[in-house]
Amino acid sequence: MSDLLATSVSGLLAFQRALDVTSNNVANAATPGYSVENAQFTEQPSQASSAGFFGGGVDVATVQRTYDEALAQQVRSSQSGYSSFNTFATQAAQVDNMLSDSNTGLTASLQAFVNALQNVANSPSSSAQRQVLLGQAQALTQQLKSYDSQLTRFDGNIESQVSSSVNQINTLAGNIATLNQKIASELGATGQPPNDLLDQRDQLIDQLSQYVSVNTAQQGDGEINVYIGTGQTLVTGSTAQSLTTIPSLYDPTRIDVGLSTGGATTADITSQIAGGTLGGLLSVRSQVIDPTRNALGQVAVGLATIVNQQQAMGMDLTGSLGQPMFSVGGVQAFAASTNAGSASLNVTRGSLDALTTEDYRMQYAGGTWQLTDLTSGQTVAMTGSGTGASPFQAAGLSIVVSGSPSNGDSFEIRPTAGATQGLAVTLANPAQIAAASPIQASASAGNTGSGIIASQAVVNPADPQLLATASILFTSPSTYTINGSGPFAYTSGQPIAANGWSVTITGTPAAGDTFKVASNAGGAGDNRNALATIDALMSASSLNGGTTSLSGAANDLVSGMGVVTEQAQSNASAQHVVNQDSVTARNNVSGVNLDEEAANMVRYQQMYQAMAQMITASNAMFNSLVSAIAGR
Amino acid sequence: MRISTLTFQTNAIDQMDQLEAALSKTQGQLASGKRIQEAADDPAGMAQVNQLNAELSASRQYVTNQNAASANLQLEGQALSDATNLLQSARDLAVEANNASLSASQRQDIATQLQQQLQQLVAIGNRTDANGDYLFSGYASQTQAFTLSGNAVSYTGSDGVSQLQISANQRISGSDAGDAVFMSIPAGNGTFTTAAAAANTGSGSIDGGSVVDPSQWTPDTYTIAFTSPTQYQVTNSGGGVVASGTYTSGDAIQFQGIEVTVSGTPSTGDAFTVAPAGKASAFATLSGLIKTLSSPALSSAQITTQLGNGLAQIDGAIVQLGNVSASVGARLNAVTAAQSTEQSTQTQLQSSVSQLSDVDYAAAVTQLNSQEVALQAAQQSYASLARLSLFNYIQG
Repeated sequence: MSDLLATSVSGLLAFQRALDVTSNNVANAATPGYSVENAQFTEQPSQASSAGFFGGGVDVATVQRTYDEALAQQVRSSQSGYSSFNTFATQAAQVDNMLSDSNTGLTASLQAFVNALQNVANSPSSSAQRQVLLGQAQALTQQLKSYDSQLTRFDGNIESQVSSSVNQINTLAGNIATLNQKIASELGATGQPPNDLLDQRDQLIDQLSQYVSVNTAQQGDGEINVYIGTGQTLVTGSTAQSLTTIPSLYDPTRIDVGLSTGGATTADITSQIAGGTLGGLLSVRSQVIDPTRNALGQVAVGLATIVNQQQAMGMDLTGSLGQPMFSVGGVQAFAASTNAGSASLNVTRGSLDALTTEDYRMQYAGGTWQLTDLTSGQTVAMTGSGTGASPFQAAGLSIVVSGSPSNGDSFEIRPTAGATQGLAVTLANPAQIAAASPIQASASAGNTGSGIIASQAVVNPADPQLLATASILFTSPSTYTINGSGPFAYTSGQPIAANGWSVTITGTPAAGDTFKVASNAGGAGDNRNALATIDALMSASSLNGGTTSLSGAANDLVSGMGVVTEQAQSNASAQHVVNQDSVTARNNVSGVNLDEEAANMVRYQQMYQAMAQMITASNAMFNSLVSAIAGR
Repeated sequence: MRISTLTFQTNAIDQMDQLEAALSKTQGQLASGKRIQEAADDPAGMAQVNQLNAELSASRQYVTNQNAASANLQLEGQALSDATNLLQSARDLAVEANNASLSASQRQDIATQLQQQLQQLVAIGNRTDANGDYLFSGYASQTQAFTLSGNAVSYTGSDGVSQLQISANQRISGSDAGDAVFMSIPAGNGTFTTAAAAANTGSGSIDGGSVVDPSQWTPDTYTIAFTSPTQYQVTNSGGGVVASGTYTSGDAIQFQGIEVTVSGTPSTGDAFTVAPAGKASAFATLSGLIKTLSSPALSSAQITTQLGNGLAQIDGAIVQLGNVSASVGARLNAVTAAQSTEQSTQTQLQSSVSQLSDVDYAAAVTQLNSQEVALQAAQQSYASLARLSLFNYIQG
């Protein structure tokens, strides 16, 4: 009899517990990170008798949460991927929107500058059109500089987001370490899993995966070790390492991410970080901001170099050779903060077509300097010896090393990154626009032969004799002298060069015919150099090894950014779907289903009632027995 | 399959969010009329639109250039036509003067009229365009093209002329240099000039001559000297005799592939020269005529020879102006052709831009409708499914 009562009471208690668990499940149906719990029933020890073993009732062995570690890992890795792509796409879209406005865009500004040049070519003597050209030069400069400033602003935003991500990661890591300790002690004390703490810790790790990609390793005592990036330890048991922002190795104005590895040492792990908001931010910086700034710089250098070269080959309204129209920022060369030697680099730009939009590292190792392209990782061959007389020459750069390097010293060279910010219009006087060619070749009126001047060009504007009047006298139809020196053999169509110019005469001049090459001072209506400038800007392939024109490079910059953004956005939306699917898959296992809880409630209620009936039955049996004794 | 109640609800809400975002995008396209709202909507298309807009802007600039070229060339054409008319009337005066019956004072009157025409011709040569640039000064557009000093005219401009870009790969001269138009006119008949020696005493005069066989012509200065009124000898500059013969008035004298005709009665010792043609300027021709007509000391034979040469040179100048006018006309035609090309280019570019960036209303409206239907369905099914719960059916 007492057995019946005892088993019934054990049932009552067990189903009460189960109803508690069900009630808790329903209460937490909307709690983020909550894993549905089950009361795990177990039989109580049975009693042996001669008639066999009689069951001893039921007990709740433990309350178990429904949790699938593999599904949780999937959620985390897809969450890291999605955060990373989404951050990248959001930031890249900002740069793309900046560049692609068709009314104020780079292509439109460059075209407006060229149109103004055309108008100067139409009326080279018009001071008004020259003023407009200077205005457009200023506008184009401002446009490029405002792009560069906005990139700097984006970069600043990214750095502040990097800092806040680092802080978030540190907070989360600290909390995970604290929970690790609590879980280990509760598990040790009771032998039962502290489900609420486990849920909290899992949720913290989920949150961490939004900031950076995470790997976990379950330890025997219930603790979890957390690794980020390519295996850098963030949490070991109850100890959390902290991330810090540290000045970049080369450019101290930028920040990198460091991980303190115990003691005072901090390792730069920027390049190891992948995934999550932090990974997305760091890759936007290296894949969008820096390349865009470099490409803008290339356009700025191209603009300044082409226009200035052409200015030098022309003559302005005052009769002087043209002065540069633009100035542009120089090459940036950053020494590593760890350099031990006294070496410093002086880097200048050489030929425009060899200039790239890449950044380079120059390292001194084993007694030699080595130049590496940071994008491709390839070594770039250099000529020269690095001295002032024979600088290293590579990638359109000329590098002079001074001081003495220590082994392992390195420098980062950014050929075009600082160019745009230094861009400025240096020409203030519209009369200084060199629309004219500085020389004018002409045939003497008295010439009787058929020789005519086919073309004339300035070859070396630096020649001091360029503007001196020179006379080409034909001593016979096949020989000529220049200012009395010679004679030289004449072939129709072959250029005749002297004093920094080159003149081509065709036909058969007669003996005694003369041609004069003289300064074009007063040539206010001459537009030859203006037209040559337009050609040099729009059609001459002067960039990227002679494959791209300046206008082409400007257009490529805009369309290239568009492609990067579109890819990032489609990656982000694809990863969003993957992430949603994995969250759904996990929630379908761990989440609360109210219908299921309703059914459980009914089930446990019925069982509880049945147990209560058992007690009634036991009571009835006892009463029948008592009344049977009393009735005797 | 087991589904978490929370997941069911959040997924349904997510789906409705996405449908609403798509609806809003389509609505934005319809409202703005633009298919590409931002570059990332269609980066390749956006880059193309930017490129096309730049080409459109360049094309509009070419039309501006064409208008400038056309205005310049029309001014030049007008100047050339005025100069031709002027030379034509100068020619009439020279013909009128070439009459032995005129007195010295009558010739002086004609000289005075020619003087005025010379000044007018210089004024035409110094015409300016709307910017105040000299039409015929070439590169030196701020320098007056021609300077008149006495009766002598010198060219002070440049002999190079600016090109104007009238299309992407077509550049034409917007003007012509004054020395090519007015100064570099082949003298005489284009090959050689003839002259009577100033000391001639006879009545012999020489005509402009002509080339019979160009292959035999060696450019040199030849002297036809009369050893007697009926005998002549032709020598080259080295004194070598190249021809000689008996003179008959009005008969052609041939040597070195050319022929000249001397008429009248030369005296012994009279001489005529044949020299390779240089360049004569229209101004020099007029001032030569003025000098001839205002020199009473000249013999009538000399006047006849000089007026004859002058007439030939005026004819040469008129031909030269005609040639330049024809070239101006051809360039104006090129400008007109380029204008119509640019117009059709612009139409094409604009329609390409529109195709790339404008919304297809029919497609967008259809899309809007189908998105609307999808959203409604999602909302209705969520509303009815979310009410379902087993708890509703458990009676207390």
